[in-house]
Amino acid sequence: MQEATFLILTALAAGSQHGYGIISDVAQISDQRVRLRAGTLYSALDRLRIDGLISVDREEIAENRLRRYYRLTPEGFEQLATEAARVQSNAATAIARLGMTKGMAG
Amino acid sequence: MTDSAELERGYRRWLAWYPRTFQREHEAEILTVLMAAAREGQRRPEAMECLNLMSSALSMRVRPRVPRSDRSVFRAIKLMYLGALVELAAAIIVLATIGEIKSKVVMSSPGLTEGEWHAIVVGQLAPTEVGAILGVGFWLWIAWSIGRGHRWPRIVFAIFFALNIFGLLNGLVHGSAVYARPDLAIGTLLCLVELAAVAVIFRAKIVPAQSGTSRTIAES
Repeated sequence: MQEATFLILTALAAGSQHGYGIISDVAQISDQRVRLRAGTLYSALDRLRIDGLISVDREEIAENRLRRYYRLTPEGFEQLATEAARVQSNAATAIARLGMTKGMAG
Repeated sequence: MTDSAELERGYRRWLAWYPRTFQREHEAEILTVLMAAAREGQRRPEAMECLNLMSSALSMRVRPRVPRSDRSVFRAIKLMYLGALVELAAAIIVLATIGEIKSKVVMSSPGLTEGEWHAIVVGQLAPTEVGAILGVGFWLWIAWSIGRGHRWPRIVFAIFFALNIFGLLNGLVHGSAVYARPDLAIGTLLCLVELAAVAVIFRAKIVPAQSGTSRTIAES
């Protein structure tokens, strides 16, 4: 799973969000490291919707502008949980080995 | 015209690159995001924004619109890409081995004049080259169509396969396919890829691509 996709799903894990909300949340989650552009975001949302990982929650008009809210589907929730566990396991291994290397060097 | 209206018009021009159905469904919400992210006083879309919208729109036009869980469909699409690659290699190999082909033709017809060789190039080799280039486009078109959830490419591709097999057998009977070994090898490889593609494409569970989102609009 690409990092942008992972972060978008993570942004939606807390609840439904509209496009700009996802961009802001992804920037915050990634410590301002990942700043999604609109084209990239909607390309990813389209792919995730086709794959059945997200769906449209609702739409609203705010200040004459359309806001469409997206939410995770059960499949999306499951896939994010699997990916998060995989990333966590890899990170734990890396941290443990780095600790071992430090110990050996010291 | 206000700065905001001018900026919105600029964005709309770039959003026109998207497929029509996607544009109809998502233009308003993408505009909301673009306008919300715009700088204070910005009058025109920035170059990077335009590039991003254009590349996203183009990728949306060509990429498959079937779920990634449909592995059989993705396998068929990958095989089509492989076929396009082999077809391109065939075209290059025929060009690269033209000297070898000529020497084989001269051996079989010792009195061959330059005019007669020219006629062979125009009558046989040039159509083969053009056919191979069109073939590359055909493979990619079939891949695109399968990715859109169409089933008709199965029949069209089966006919294409039958014609190519007939062409290879005809070349073997008349000797033109064995002028140069690399040509025969790539021709055989192409037929094998086509055979595999026919088997995969008919086994793929192709479901028409769906589009559309829920229409629950609430004023806030």
